Amino acid sequence: MEELLNIFVKSIFIDNMIFAYFLGMCSYLAVSRTVNTSVGLGFAVIFVLGFTVPINFLLENYILGRGALSWLGPQFAAVDLSFLTFIMFIAIIAAMVQLVEMIIEKLSPTLYSSLGIFLPLIAVNCAILGGSLFMQERNYANISEAISFGLGSGVGWFLAIVGIAAIREKIRYSNVPAPLRGLGITFIITGLMGIAFMSFMGIEL
Amino acid sequence: MKPLQNLVEKVKPHFEKGGRFEKFYRSFEAFETFLFVPGNVTTRGSHIRDAMDMKRTMVHVIIALVPVLLFGMWNVGYQHFKAIGVEAEFIDQFVYGLIKVLPIVIVSYAAGLAIEFIFASIRDHEVNEGFLVSGMLIPLIIPASTPLWMVAVATIFAVIIGKEVFGGTGMNILNPALLARAFLFFAYPSYLSGEVWIAGTAEQLDGVSGATPLAVLAIGEGDMPSAMEMFLGTIPGSIGETSTVAILLGAIVLVVTGVGSLRIMLSVVAGGLLMGGILNLVAVNEFMEIPPYYHLIMGGFAFGTVYMATDPVSASQTGVGKYIYGLLIGVLTVLIRVVNPAYPEGMMLAILFMNVFAPLIDHYVVQSHIKKRMQRMEKIPAKA
Repeated sequence: MEELLNIFVKSIFIDNMIFAYFLGMCSYLAVSRTVNTSVGLGFAVIFVLGFTVPINFLLENYILGRGALSWLGPQFAAVDLSFLTFIMFIAIIAAMVQLVEMIIEKLSPTLYSSLGIFLPLIAVNCAILGGSLFMQERNYANISEAISFGLGSGVGWFLAIVGIAAIREKIRYSNVPAPLRGLGITFIITGLMGIAFMSFMGIEL
Repeated sequence: MKPLQNLVEKVKPHFEKGGRFEKFYRSFEAFETFLFVPGNVTTRGSHIRDAMDMKRTMVHVIIALVPVLLFGMWNVGYQHFKAIGVEAEFIDQFVYGLIKVLPIVIVSYAAGLAIEFIFASIRDHEVNEGFLVSGMLIPLIIPASTPLWMVAVATIFAVIIGKEVFGGTGMNILNPALLARAFLFFAYPSYLSGEVWIAGTAEQLDGVSGATPLAVLAIGEGDMPSAMEMFLGTIPGSIGETSTVAILLGAIVLVVTGVGSLRIMLSVVAGGLLMGGILNLVAVNEFMEIPPYYHLIMGGFAFGTVYMATDPVSASQTGVGKYIYGLLIGVLTVLIRVVNPAYPEGMMLAILFMNVFAPLIDHYVVQSHIKKRMQRMEKIPAKA
């Protein structure tokens, strides 16, 4: 139980997708204009990460990995399907995103229209694929650790995008130099937020 | 005063539109308003006139910083003579500290104000008094041994990236002084690890250094000063942060004049005590076992609480938001100090972290107020 909590906290603050790895920047920069839409996208990312990471964990351990098929019979022990990893992970992610899209369209059409193209684009969001690949690389022991990692990464991403959205709402009326308006200042804010998040670097959990 | 006024009046046409030094109008204006109250009248919009304008607000903070600065100067000298083992008179200690500290203050002001004037000229906005406070805070939160060029680089970084790109005073999201400190901390970690404090040149003091109490706790060796020493501030540390007494004097000035928010100060202290208490219950190592009130008098906690967390620009703006903001700063500071082996001091990073999330706190506080009022509106029966 303690291990799960550690993974969860660690993936929110220490290994934050945005501030530690700078993954998923495209939608992070594009959809962070208002708090409300960014909350919506944040939840969508939590949902997608929370499902794809464990599903991909099962895929990796029972189908794709070297010797993962041995549960079928001893003759499959030598099969190594890991060359299919990327394409399978992306297929799972795309399927999940489709599902999220349908749910959001049904539940909140306003949010659906304000997210626009960025909702289907979660499918190619590097934070999502990054989550699955980190899961593979870090060799989580069981599925609950994978779930905890996926949810934690999602929550970390959520915090980052909601935080920057609030800042961008606040500086809307600031007299930012013309060349920096829009994306320029957002990049600078992201860097400054990265400095603030460095307070957690180095914590061993 | 009359000759000075005449001089200002005489050169004024050169700086106005069409004059020879038109480009330097903003610099001229800054000096003019510094010396006299200009006779300009507002031309549009309604204004609230208040004696407590930005200039006076900033001057109050400077006044509140005076005890800390004076004590810091003396303490630099005191630590120096203590480290080399020489008995010294009070005045010698103070003068030594003055010689060490004054150049840092001058460099920080010169670098920051130069940038401020350049930006004011290019972007055609008024030179604001905001930097007077930041320029004083920067020297107070760094060790006296920091090389002067680093002070200049950090100040310039903080003023440009932390403030001017957002549109100048009042628009920044992070506290510029803390940003300067964080910049130094991450860019030159070996000089500013926050652990070791050395006064004087290296030749004078080969290998003699004083560890701050936080460093003593983090490494687990060295002499821990008594609570009284930490309260009075006769311990090694950054220039302004050591003396809780001097900081309390400043806090009184800030609270009485209404410049610093008492809500934030109290909630930061409450947060620190709370987290200290919780860690006492867990207590798996020596650092967790120290009494919670030790956290308040060690390191930069008191200084950060009074002068940094209460920064009216980067802190939370709403009443309820201030409590949440302060409480989380206190909790995070103690947590970073105790849990994170990379940083013995957590105050700076905790405040920066909460600066980042202050707009979010405000957003939700305001939203909840809106929701509450909407509900109240709905309850009132429509007038027939």
